[in-house]
Amino acid sequence: MLMNTIRRAKKYAFLYIMILPVLLYFVIFSFYPLILGFIQSLQESRLIGQAEFTGLSNYQAVLRDSNFIQALRNSLIIGLGGLGLTLLLAVLLVLGLTEIRQKWFKQSIQTLTFLPFLFSWTVIGSLWIYMLSANGLLNDLLKLAGAQPLVILSNLKAAQPLFIISAAWKNAGYNVVILMAVVSGIDPGLYEAGLMDGASRFRQIQHITLPALRPTLLMLVLLGVTGILRNFDQAYVMQNAAILPGVRTVLLYIFTVGISQFKIGLATAAATIVLLITLGLTLLTSLLIRRIKQRWL
Amino acid sequence: MKQSSSGRRLNQLSLPWQILNYLFLSLILLSMFIPFLYVFAVAFSTRQGSMAAGVKLWPDHFSLNGFSTVWQRADLGTAFLNSVSVSVISVLLELFLALMAAYVLVIEQLPFRRFLAGIILVTLTIPGDLTLISVYVLNKQLNLLNSYPGLILNGLVSGFAIMLLKNYFEGVPDALAEAARIDSATEFQIFRLIYLPLSLPGIAAISFLEFISKWNALMLPATIISDARYYTLPLVLKQLTLSSESTSGIDYIAPNARMAAIVISVLPLILLYVLAQSFLIEGLTLGATKG
Repeated sequence: MLMNTIRRAKKYAFLYIMILPVLLYFVIFSFYPLILGFIQSLQESRLIGQAEFTGLSNYQAVLRDSNFIQALRNSLIIGLGGLGLTLLLAVLLVLGLTEIRQKWFKQSIQTLTFLPFLFSWTVIGSLWIYMLSANGLLNDLLKLAGAQPLVILSNLKAAQPLFIISAAWKNAGYNVVILMAVVSGIDPGLYEAGLMDGASRFRQIQHITLPALRPTLLMLVLLGVTGILRNFDQAYVMQNAAILPGVRTVLLYIFTVGISQFKIGLATAAATIVLLITLGLTLLTSLLIRRIKQRWL
Repeated sequence: MKQSSSGRRLNQLSLPWQILNYLFLSLILLSMFIPFLYVFAVAFSTRQGSMAAGVKLWPDHFSLNGFSTVWQRADLGTAFLNSVSVSVISVLLELFLALMAAYVLVIEQLPFRRFLAGIILVTLTIPGDLTLISVYVLNKQLNLLNSYPGLILNGLVSGFAIMLLKNYFEGVPDALAEAARIDSATEFQIFRLIYLPLSLPGIAAISFLEFISKWNALMLPATIISDARYYTLPLVLKQLTLSSESTSGIDYIAPNARMAAIVISVLPLILLYVLAQSFLIEGLTLGATKG
C-alpha cells in the first residue's frame, strides 16, 4: 500500500518539484516567523550574547503597559466603527444606485467610489491631511464663507471619527462592487411577483433586495472582523503627536516597540496576544453568523 | 393600460425619496470628485499659486514645476523606478511560482495533494502583518534589510492568489489534460499548452490585483528599509506628508510638489483601472465569493 503510493508519487516527481519553491517560501516567510515570534516572546532580547528564556514576563509587561491597552481599545473602536460605517455606506449606495436610471450618473459614482480603494493609505492619508490642514481645501472654503477655520488634524477628540470616516470613504467602493454583483444576480421574476402583489418599491427593497444581500453582508462582516486589529497603514500615515493617544493601533504599537525601540521580546509578546484575540474574534463572529443564519435565513 | 401605469409607479420610489436619493448620491459623488480635482489642480499649479490663499479647484497657470521639483528634490525619480521595478519583478516572479503551485493542486490523482493544499490554506489564516517583528529579525538573519531582494521577497507569494488560480484551473476540462497525457505530453507541456491559455483572463485579473497590493505596500518596506536609496513611492509620500506638518523647515516643499507626488503615485493605478476594469472587478468578485 505504502510502496504503491510512493511509486505513484515517484511518477509525479516533477509536479512536486513544481510546487516546492512555493512551499519553501511559505516555510521561510510565513511559518518560521510565526514560530520565531512565539519563541522570542518568551525571551528577553539582548543586544549581545545569548537570549535568555524569561517565561511569561514579557506578556505580563505588555498587559501592564497602558499604551498597549489603549492601543487595543483604539483598534477596536476604529476597526469596528470603520467596518460598520463602511458597510452602511455601501448598502445605502447600492440601494440608491439600483434606483438610478441614468447610466452615466450610476457609472461615475461607481468608478469614483471605487478609485480610493485602489490607492494606498499613503495617498489617501496624505490627501485627507492636505484637505483638512490649516491651508487645506476645507479651511479655504470656510474662509470663503467667512467662517472660522477648523483645527481638525491635531484635535484629539476628532481623531477617531476622522479615522472611521476616512476608512469608510476609502473602502465603501469595494463593498459596493461586491454587493452590486449580488443585486444584479437577483431573479427579476421576484420583483415582478412583488409588483403583481401590489408591493411598493420600498417594500420590494425591504423584502427582496435586502434579504438577498444579507448572506454576502455577513461574509463581508466576517472578512472585516479578521482585519480589525490589523490597521497599520492608516495609523502610520495619519497619526501625529497630538492625536497619537487616540489613534495608536496595536500594529503601530508593535511597530514602535519592536522596530523603533528594539524591544523584540515585548513586541512579539504583544503580537502573540493580538494574534490570539484576532483568532478569538474571528471564531466568535463566525459562530454568531452561523447562529444568525440558522435563525433568520 | 391602467395596470401598466400603476405598475410603473410601483416600480419606482415616490418622488420625495427619489429626490433624497439623488441628493445623497450627488453628495457622495462630490465628496469623491472634489478631493481628486483639488489634488490635480494644485499639482499642476505654479509654486506661488499653490501657496496662495483661496479655494483651488483649477490650476492658476498650468505648470509642471511641482513635478520637476518633487522629482529632483524629494528624489521621487529613484522611488518611482524602485516601485516600478520591484512591483513588476515581484508580480512576474509570484505568477511564475503561483501558477506552478496552482497547477499541481488541480491534478487529482497526485498523492498527498490534499496535504499540500492544506499547507497553503493554513498560510491564509496566518496574519502576516502580526508577525512583523519576527519578519524583521528574519530579514536581518538573511541579510535582506535595505536591499532589493528584501523588497521583492517579503510578501512575494500570496496563498490567496494560488487558491484563486486553482479555482480558474479547475474550470479547465480534465479530459483535455488526460488526452494530452495519453499522447505522452510532459507535465510542463500540459501546463503551458492547455491550462495557461485557457485561464488567461483569470491570470490577468490576479496579476493586476497583486500589482496593486505590491505597488501600495507600506508596512513591510517601512519595516525593512531605512536607506533612502531603496525607498518606494509610499515611503517617500509618507515622508513628504510628515514634513508638511513642520512648514517652518528650511527644506520646505510647496504644496504643488506634494500633490504632484500623489499624482505620480496614483497615475499607474488609474491607467490600470481604465485599461483593465473588467478584469479587476471580476478578480475582486471572485475573490470575495469563492476565496
